[in-house]
Amino acid sequence: MDLLVIENLKVTFQTPPEQVRAVDGVTLELKQAETLALVGETGCGKSTIALSILRLLPENADVRGKIIYRNNDLLLLPEKELAQLRGKDISLVMQNPALALNPVYSIGHQMTEPLIVHRRLKKPKAIQTAKNLLEKLHFKGPSNAIRAYPFEMSGGMKQRVLIGISVVLSPKIIIADEPTKGLDDRLREMVLKELRLVREMNRSSMIFISHDLNAAREISDRIAVMYAGEILESAATQEFFKEPLHPYSQALLESLPERGFKPIPGVSPSMIQPPRGCKFHPRCPDKKEMCSKQRPDFKRTKNRDVKCVLYS
Amino acid sequence: MLNRFGLVLVVLFVLIAILADIISPHDPWDRFEPYEKPNRNHILGTNDIGNDILSELIHGSRASLIVGIGAAIIATLLGLLVGLFSGYFKGALDEIFMGITDIFLMIPRIPLIIMLAAFLKSSIWLIMLALGLLWWTSTARVVRSRTLQVREMDYVASAKCLGFKNRHIIFSDILPNIFPVVVPKFMLTVATAMISEASLSFLGLGDPSMKSWGLMINFALIKGGLVNEMWWWYLSPGLCIILFVYSIVSLGFSFEERKKVNLR
Amino acid sequence: MLLSKKKALRYLIALFIIFTLNFIIPRTMPGDPITNLLGENFIASEATIQELKIELGLDKSLSFQYLDYWKDIFTLHLGYSYHFNQKVISIIFMRMKWTLALLFPSILLGAILGTLLGALSGWKKNNLGNKATTWAFLAVYSSPPYFLGIIFLYVFSFKWGLFPFKGFYETGTFLDVLQHLFLPILIMSTFAASRNYMIMRGSVLIEKEKLYVVYARAKGLYGNSILFRHIFKNASLPVITLIALDFGFLLSGALFVEIVFSMNGMGTLIYEALLSRDYPVLQGCFLIITIMVIAANFFADILYSFIDPRVKEKA
Ligand SMILES: Nc1ncnc2c1ncn2[C@@H]1O[C@H](COP(=O)(O)OP(=O)(O)O)[C@@H](O)[C@H]1O
Ligand SMILES: [Mg+2]
Repeated sequence: MDLLVIENLKVTFQTPPEQVRAVDGVTLELKQAETLALVGETGCGKSTIALSILRLLPENADVRGKIIYRNNDLLLLPEKELAQLRGKDISLVMQNPALALNPVYSIGHQMTEPLIVHRRLKKPKAIQTAKNLLEKLHFKGPSNAIRAYPFEMSGGMKQRVLIGISVVLSPKIIIADEPTKGLDDRLREMVLKELRLVREMNRSSMIFISHDLNAAREISDRIAVMYAGEILESAATQEFFKEPLHPYSQALLESLPERGFKPIPGVSPSMIQPPRGCKFHPRCPDKKEMCSKQRPDFKRTKNRDVKCVLYS
Repeated sequence: MLNRFGLVLVVLFVLIAILADIISPHDPWDRFEPYEKPNRNHILGTNDIGNDILSELIHGSRASLIVGIGAAIIATLLGLLVGLFSGYFKGALDEIFMGITDIFLMIPRIPLIIMLAAFLKSSIWLIMLALGLLWWTSTARVVRSRTLQVREMDYVASAKCLGFKNRHIIFSDILPNIFPVVVPKFMLTVATAMISEASLSFLGLGDPSMKSWGLMINFALIKGGLVNEMWWWYLSPGLCIILFVYSIVSLGFSFEERKKVNLR
Repeated sequence: MLLSKKKALRYLIALFIIFTLNFIIPRTMPGDPITNLLGENFIASEATIQELKIELGLDKSLSFQYLDYWKDIFTLHLGYSYHFNQKVISIIFMRMKWTLALLFPSILLGAILGTLLGALSGWKKNNLGNKATTWAFLAVYSSPPYFLGIIFLYVFSFKWGLFPFKGFYETGTFLDVLQHLFLPILIMSTFAASRNYMIMRGSVLIEKEKLYVVYARAKGLYGNSILFRHIFKNASLPVITLIALDFGFLLSGALFVEIVFSMNGMGTLIYEALLSRDYPVLQGCFLIITIMVIAANFFADILYSFIDPRVKEKA
């Protein structure tokens, strides 16, 4: 059953005199206890999707479409009701832990906040809960971590703290935005292990956002490839890595180090004036004449969705 | 909207100060009937020795603006230099400059000026100089922290790599980026200087040969303007101070909010 | 440690330099040094002057005088006022309490009122009510406090007779004192509030764009609780710095307000001393005010380190 459905999401940032089309008609479903990986290069609109779900985008964002969770369109819900879902039903591991944590409050304060705000727990009880959680996540010295301030922690630690905070209220959906970015291999493994752990704690669904294909492969059930605000292909993870269909997916896999580091020719498209037709056509090795004229639709091929004329 | 209002008023006051001789109805030193109520000939009445108050007011703008703006210029230039060098060169120079700044910050400025003015013959120029030399510290701090940010920017780093001289980098690459913080800071300094000048004049430390608005209030009070309910006498210079300071301060703050610069 | 060694050293150096300044000024100013040190009220025969010169150590070299100066400070000998016929230190101590009684409640009230309203103003939408509050505070910000004093005095005391017109006497009961202090405190706290209001407002406007605010919302915080649970503490840091820096300015403002309300504090003392060119009193006041300003800064530093954990670590 679909837990979360995103239908034809369009997000435009008004930055006069320009308009940035960050998300351009995205449709996605997230099933119960499923992990969906959202991959794509930096700036293609992944974070924008994450923030739209919780309606956390700045005021210059114009958001259209539907985001259905439990028969409610999150985009239409009054702010107050939505606030009750944030953190409790749907939690977010933000992209930049160093800036997401408040510099003047201790980790304990920030970790217990969801418990105090949503569950109205008393402080000592909440601290105990947070401590237990950190222990389950194999933190070294949970009591010290609780007392520490963000500036006293390394980047990896802050990332792990954010993951910890995301799970204090046993949410149904965890959205993790680039949780392995900038981490060395050891830390990356640790974070991935931790994500699996928090996912299993409550059988939560997860949206795992990353530009790290290997991490996506390790952790996800299904994968969606984004390019310039659109999803070009979505498939079961295993099948995807066996046989990517879209030329962009293929190019993306070719660019992995273990497959020879072949860079994708050309440059990332402008989000202000995207190419006509298929957005990938200027860089596509298999482009046809019609690619520059008409934007292809999703086609269900071999049990997966692909947006390319080759498969229509 | 607030912004435009402020700009218009500031320009207006500056024009009045410049054109004082032309637009004032009388010579401010001419003597008429003393203690006259406002009438057609003397719109704001006359003072204890018969000077036309409106003309005094118009001419008083000169002294007030000179002290306020002059002191702010001195303070801003000093603060700019100290802050720029401190932030750009860092290290020992920074330590010394910031140490000096911290010390200056602790000096009780108005009491010091009162003491100096008690010993010396007070004049507009003395007050302007003293205010300017004492009020540069917070500008220096703000400029320094801004410089520290700007010097880390890419093009400054590349200018350094290209071997440009320090002086060139400071004045042509960094200075333009400091402006957004210096401009509002300058305006707030004008405000503080004018309030200080008005306060010092209130103690009688003004310059009797060049009447400022503050001094007018002082005279109005000691010559019985308040007890005789001659509100037009002491209220009008006070309102002039408030109005001018208000317009320049609102300009400063709206500039600050627009550019999202932190002045502290 | 509450304060870094460097900071503490700076305070000491500041104190040292400002006190030295106080030594230098009367000795370098034009005019007779005896007069500069004793005040214009002092008139005596040549013989007495010679005696006094020896007593004051003016016959010694400057360096000896300087040593004596410090010895006097440590033993609280701030000289004698020939105008008041009293020791300077006892006059100041007598007057100081009224200045403090005006200043401290004003700073406290101004801090609470200014930061609270400023925070709300920066946080809420900029509607008409919000704009009107900002305009009003800006108007107070732009007024010399003593001028507000004059207007209040005229309206409330002179016209309406709600509050006493002239200063007060130390025999007054608590209620009496309160009645006399009410208007001056009202003026000074509004003035202090206006400065804190503008800074806090600007600070919140900047802080509310930060990522931790988005994250707080992601955790389910809503409405004003974001302001008070997350932004307020961060945004108040510049205000604490400001309150310390502003202390001297507010103190000066309070001195002038005292004069308007004929309160028996240091402001009127300075005014009287100025009119009669009673230099020892002026210098004594300067020293005591310096100590107050430095103490205020010291206190603000400690407060800051309590609020910002990053500072404590560096110390
Ligand atoms: N607040 C904003 N205003 C204007 N443009 C924005 C804003 N936030 C993001 N963008 C633009 O939207 C596009 C998508 O950004 P983002 O969702 O952060 O990408 P990703 O997370 O995939 O790296 C980028 O081109 C970015 O520059
Ligand atoms: Mg992103």
